[in-house]
Amino acid sequence: MAAGRVDSESRKSRDSESHIEDEEIEVEEEEPNFSDPEDFVDDVTDEELLGDVLRKRPKPSDSVDSVIIVDCIPKVGKERLDKLKNVIKKLFSKFGTVVNAFYPLDDEGNTKGYMFLEFSSPQNAHEAVKMTNGYKLDKQHSFKVNHFSDFEKYINVPDEWTPPDPKPYQDLGNLRSWLQNKESYDQFSVIYGEGEKTAIFLNTPEPSMVEERARWTETYVRWSPQGTYLATFHVKGIALWGGPKFSQIMRFSHPGVQLIDFSPCEKYLVTFSPLQDNHEDPQAIIIWDIRSGAKKRGFHCESRSTWPIFKWNQNGNYFARIGEEAISIYETPSFGLLDKKSLKIPAVRDFSWSPTDDIIAYWVPEQSNTPARVTLIEIPSRNELCVRNLFNVADCKMHWQKSGDYLCVKVDRYKTKKTDDKDQIKYSGIYYNFELFRIREKQIPVDKVEEKDPVLAFAWEPIGNKFAYIHGEAPRINVTFYNIQPKGKVELLKTFEKRSANHLFWSPNGQFIVLAGLRSMNGVLEFIDTQDMTVMTQTEHFMATDVEWDPTGRYVVSAVSWWGHKVDNGYWLWNFQGILQHKQPLEKFCQLQWRPRPPSLLSENRVKEIKKNFKTWAQKFEQEDSMRKMTASKDMLEKRRKLMEDFREYRSQKDKEFAEMKEIRLQLRSGIDTDELHNQEDNFTEEIIEFLIKAEEKIVEE
Amino acid sequence: MKPIMLHGHERSITQIKYNREGDLIFSCAKDSQPNVWYSLNGERLGTFVGHNGAVWCIDCSWDTSKVLTGAADNFCKVWDCETGSQLHSIETRTAVRSNGFSYSGNLIMFTTDKTMGCNCEIHVYDLRDGDQLASNTPLLTIPIEGSKITSAIWGPYEESIVTGHENGEICIFDIKSGKTVQSCKDHTKQINDIQPYKDYTMFITASKDNTAKLFDMDTLELKKTYRTERPVNSAAISPLHEHVVLGGGQEAMQVTTTNTRVGKFDARFFHLVFEEEFGRVKGHFGPINSVAFHPDGKSYSSGGEDGYVRVHYFDANYLDINFDY
Repeated sequence: MAAGRVDSESRKSRDSESHIEDEEIEVEEEEPNFSDPEDFVDDVTDEELLGDVLRKRPKPSDSVDSVIIVDCIPKVGKERLDKLKNVIKKLFSKFGTVVNAFYPLDDEGNTKGYMFLEFSSPQNAHEAVKMTNGYKLDKQHSFKVNHFSDFEKYINVPDEWTPPDPKPYQDLGNLRSWLQNKESYDQFSVIYGEGEKTAIFLNTPEPSMVEERARWTETYVRWSPQGTYLATFHVKGIALWGGPKFSQIMRFSHPGVQLIDFSPCEKYLVTFSPLQDNHEDPQAIIIWDIRSGAKKRGFHCESRSTWPIFKWNQNGNYFARIGEEAISIYETPSFGLLDKKSLKIPAVRDFSWSPTDDIIAYWVPEQSNTPARVTLIEIPSRNELCVRNLFNVADCKMHWQKSGDYLCVKVDRYKTKKTDDKDQIKYSGIYYNFELFRIREKQIPVDKVEEKDPVLAFAWEPIGNKFAYIHGEAPRINVTFYNIQPKGKVELLKTFEKRSANHLFWSPNGQFIVLAGLRSMNGVLEFIDTQDMTVMTQTEHFMATDVEWDPTGRYVVSAVSWWGHKVDNGYWLWNFQGILQHKQPLEKFCQLQWRPRPPSLLSENRVKEIKKNFKTWAQKFEQEDSMRKMTASKDMLEKRRKLMEDFREYRSQKDKEFAEMKEIRLQLRSGIDTDELHNQEDNFTEEIIEFLIKAEEKIVEE
Repeated sequence: MKPIMLHGHERSITQIKYNREGDLIFSCAKDSQPNVWYSLNGERLGTFVGHNGAVWCIDCSWDTSKVLTGAADNFCKVWDCETGSQLHSIETRTAVRSNGFSYSGNLIMFTTDKTMGCNCEIHVYDLRDGDQLASNTPLLTIPIEGSKITSAIWGPYEESIVTGHENGEICIFDIKSGKTVQSCKDHTKQINDIQPYKDYTMFITASKDNTAKLFDMDTLELKKTYRTERPVNSAAISPLHEHVVLGGGQEAMQVTTTNTRVGKFDARFFHLVFEEEFGRVKGHFGPINSVAFHPDGKSYSSGGEDGYVRVHYFDANYLDINFDY
C-alpha cells in the first residue's frame, strides 16, 4: 500500500505539470503540431527509449523484505491511537529507522489489532522480528511479529501433504567387492605428484594399479573405518566413492570443509568447516546420513578441543562431545541429547569411549581439596563402574586397548607445584604412572606401573595383553614391554636399551611390533616379535616419515612423504618380519593409506580351529606361492630373451654397416687399422712405469 | 677393487677421457690446469699450463699426438701431447663448452656458450690449414638459434656433429651444409654428456632428467632408457660387455644441504639391453661429473665434484656377472 500511495501522488504531480504546459502553450503561439496523427502506431518500445531508467525502477519486492506485520496489538479507539503509536515507535525504532507505519482502522476508526511497519533495510526488519516476536506488552497482549513476505510463503503451502517422489534406486554395484579378491590382496590409496594424482593399488607381488585419477581430491583422501568408502576433499564439500569402479556414491555440500570423521558403523559422516557458521543455523560441524545424503544436524564449534570433536561409541548409537563442565551425549538416529540433558561433570578435562563397549572414561583434575579422578561410566544408564582417585596429577592421557579389555591412564605426576607471577602453574620433578584398568575382570581392578623417565610414546597390543612404551632422553632412549597376566601380575617382559625410536606400531593382530625412528631419527626401523622378544630385523628406510600396517598384519609400508621431506619420495613395502618386498620411488609422493577391512565374519571358534590346523592351510598357500614364483620368473626370462633377441638383431645389422665402412676408416687414419685395440703390436713402444708396492721403515744400525 | 685416486686437481673435475690405447687418462677441472696420467698406476705424466679459467672439456687425437682443451677463459687450445707445449690457441667470444677431434684427427670442433649477448655456436677448424688458425677464421661456423649446446661429439667419419642441448633436445648437424639433419626430444631436461659406443654406431646421453638413454647414431632412434632418481651427469658404454655406467647425483648446488647418503653419489652399472641396475660403486663424496671406460673394458674411471679422479680395475667376479635369459 505504500507503493500505491506513491503512485497516486506522482500522478497528482504529473497532472499539475501538464497543467503548466497548457498555460505555456497559450502564451507561445504558432507552436508546430508535435502530436502524432490519429492512426500512428508507436513502434519504439519503452525499453529502447529509456531502458537505463527502467532498469533502475524500484521493484515492489525491494521493500517487501523490509516490511513486518505486528499482530496482537491492543485494539484502541481514535483517542488512544497516538499513545499506541508512541509505544510502538519507541519499541521498534531500537532496530532501525521506521520508514512507514500503517495502522489499518475499522469503520469506527478503531485499530484492528494489527499493524504494518516498514524499516529502511531488510536487516533491521529481520532483527526486529527476531527480537520482538512474543514480546509481552502487558498481561493481555503478546506480540506476534512476522515478515510480510512470509505470508506469501505460507499461503502457498498446499493444504494437503503429498509425499515426495522417492529417489530412483541407483545400483552402485557391490560396495564390498574388493574383499572378494581371491588371493585376499589388500588395496591402498596413494597420493603423489604434489597431490595432483591419486591412485588405488592392489598389493599384488608387484603392486598393480586399480584406478588412477588426476585431481581426484584437493587436499587428501580418507577411507571410511570399514573401507567401504573413499572420501575426497573439495572446496565445496566431500565426495564419497566406492564400488568396483570407484564411482561417486554421494556428495555432501559443506564449503570450506577441512576435517571429517566417520561413525564406526559407516552410517554417518561428520564434517567440519571453519567458514560456514552463523548464529541461527549452526553450520560449523554437520553430521550427515551417508546413505541418504541428508543433513542430520548442525553444531556450532566454540570449543578449541582437538578433532574429532565428536567421539562416537563403538557401534554409532551414541556420540559425545566435551563442553564446559559437562559431557554432552547424543543418540542416533534422533540426534537429540540422550535423556535430554548433558552429563554434568565440573571441571572435566577429557573423555573417551571404550572401543568395544558403551563405556565412557573421563578424568577431572584436582580441585582445592578433592583429588584428581578417573571415572568409568556406563551409557545410557550413567552408572559409575569405577572411580580412581589420584594425587599430585599434572596431566592424564587415556589409552584404550583396541579390544576394549584394558584402559591405561598415563598420569603425569609432580613432586612440587608452583604458581608463578603470571598465574601459570609450573610443575617440577615430573614422574609417570600407568594406571591399568582391567575392564573385563570383576569390579575392574586397577594396577599401577611407575616410570621415572619421560614417556615419549605408549601403545597397547591391539589383540593381546601386552603394552609397550618409549621412555628416556636422547641419546638414551629405551623401549619397555609389559605383559598383563589375566587375574595375575603385571610383569616386565623386556627393556630394549638405547634405541632410535620415537613411534610404536603394533601389528593389527598383535604379537609383532615395529619400533620406528621417524623423521629426525633418520628412519630406523626395528621389527620385533614379542612372543619371545626377539629382534627379527634392524633396518632403515632413510628419512622415512610414515609407517603403516596393512589391515591384516601381513605387510608394513614405510614411506617418505613429500609433505615431510622433499627428496627420495616413495614407499617401501616390508613383510611383517621386516624383509623388504618392494621399493617404489614415486615423484612427489605424499600419502599412502591402506584400505581398512570390516571385522571378520568368522566366529571365534572357527578362528581357533583355523589356528589349530594352520599347517594344512599353510601347505596349500605355499604351493600357490611357489607356482606363482615359477611363472613370474618364467615371464621375466621370456621378456629378457625377447629384448636380447631384438638387440642382437639390431647389433648384427650395425656390425655389418661398420664392416662396410672399413675402407673409409683406413683412409682417414692413413692406412692404420685401429678397429681392434691391439692390432699393431709391432707399433708399440715399451715404457717402464713404477708401482709403489709397499713402504717399509727400517732402522739402520750404526 | 681398491681404486687408484688421482689427486692433482684443486677443484671439481669437469671431464675425463682415456686415449685410444687406454694407457693415459686426460682430466680437466674447474682449476685451469688439465692433467694427463698413466692409467695403470695413477702416476701423473704432466700438466698443460696456459689456461686462465675453468677447463670444461678435453679430448685427445686418435694417435695421442695432440690434446684439445676448451675453457671458460674463452680459449680453445691445441697442445702437443708429448711435450705439453701449446701448438695453437683459438680465441672465442664466450666460454668453450665441449670439443672434439675428428676421426682422422685433422679436424677439430668446439661449441661456445650463449652468454654476454653472443649466440651459441659450433666452430670447426682444419688443423692442416695454418691460415685458419692464425686468422681465427674457421672452416665452418654454425650459429645455434634455440637452446644452447651443453654437450657435443663428432658423428662417424667426420660427416656430422651430434649435439645435446639445454632443453633436452638432441640434434645431428651435417658438416657440409651446416644444417640440422635429425633431431629428437626424448629427454625433458638438459643433456649433460654424450659418449659414443666404440664403433660410433650408437651413443649414450646423460641428462638432468634423471635418465640416461641409448640412441642409434644414424636415425636418432631411442633404443634404451636407464632410470635413476638423481640427475645423471655422465654415462659410458662398456666396450667389452653389455654394460653401461652412469655417474651423477644431487646437484652440486644442493649438496651442502644434504648428507652423502641422500645425494646418492654412486657410480651405477646397468645392463645395456635389460635396462636393469646390477651394481653400484661408492666412493665420491660429491656428485660424479664424468665417467669413462677403459678401451679394453676392464677398468673405468670417474671424476667428481670432490676433485678426485678414481680409477677402478674390476674384480675378476665382475667379468663373471651373467644375466639369465
